Amino acid sequence: MGGGGGGLQAAPKVKRGSFATVRKKKKRVGFVLDMTPLVDIAFLLLTFFMLSTTLTTPQTMEMSVPPETENVEVKQSELLTVLVRDDGQIFKYMGDKKSNPPEKIALKDLRALSVNENLRMENKLIVSLRISNKVPYGLVINLLDQLNIAETDITQRLSAKGMKRERKFALTPLTDEDKEDLKAL
Amino acid sequence: MSKIKKKRVGFVLDMTPLVDIAFLLLTFFMFTAKFKSDTENEQKFQIKRPMASADTSKVPDKDLAMIKIGIDTVTNDTAYYYSLSNEQDRKVVYNSDKVQLSDEARQKVILKVTDLKVLEALLKQTRMANLRMKFAIDADKRVQYKWIEDLTNVMRLSNATVFNFVTDKPN
Repeated sequence: MGGGGGGLQAAPKVKRGSFATVRKKKKRVGFVLDMTPLVDIAFLLLTFFMLSTTLTTPQTMEMSVPPETENVEVKQSELLTVLVRDDGQIFKYMGDKKSNPPEKIALKDLRALSVNENLRMENKLIVSLRISNKVPYGLVINLLDQLNIAETDITQRLSAKGMKRERKFALTPLTDEDKEDLKAL
Repeated sequence: MSKIKKKRVGFVLDMTPLVDIAFLLLTFFMFTAKFKSDTENEQKFQIKRPMASADTSKVPDKDLAMIKIGIDTVTNDTAYYYSLSNEQDRKVVYNSDKVQLSDEARQKVILKVTDLKVLEALLKQTRMANLRMKFAIDADKRVQYKWIEDLTNVMRLSNATVFNFVTDKPN
């Protein structure tokens, strides 16, 4: 009870605020409201929303797989096979692999290959992707992306010839036989 | 130019706008931190999406079943994470007796699934609950392709033959 009790004995203080009630209010002549903060905030919000909305919208790549019951027969001559080995190396062959042994191909050349072969076969080509299940998913998407970019080109050129583009495409796992074939390459 | 500059005596800078903005930012960040979706709240991993430049369509926000394949930042384990955007569908699917889940898991928003049989049951129930449901696969680019292959096989078995891969735009 040392210093705390001291306040009790002191004369009642006159509050600072009470003085204002005595004073007469000045009439506001030429009232001006500063709009700067409002504008500041408006711009701030605007820039913030602009930046945040464009940065966080992922896209999608649409894919479809055939239903379980469906079994499609294809001609081997119309087949372009693209193989991806365990280490991420890409190979391709046209039609039969005995007459056309698999060749190594770079990821960036895949687009041109797809465009050329599709135009040559005029819509009949089926691209069969056989991907090893050990490669990272990112590589698969890059590969599909290359083919998707090629697709716009193919559609354009075929429509110039008066044809409607029908994409035929299959994703299948890499078989042991394929692995054996690619080992020496 | 000829006017002589007045010397500033008792220079006063109005701090009101600064304070306004500071408070505004403060409240803004407070609110956004709170309103983050339940799905993201429970997520314990970050997904580095693969880049694809040809894609233009956006991820739908309604009737979406999202299957994430993420690598846990702590344990480094890969697993499937299943979530549904509609709360009503979520309740129906998660509480279905055809799906084998623990009672604790049924209360969650995002389901960690390691068993493909459970995933198949989930997908089937989702298709039954809502036929308009769209499926999206959001996987980390470092994940082995085996995970995607298993998933697409399961999707085929559950008749969910059309799906989307979630990608990012390259800068």
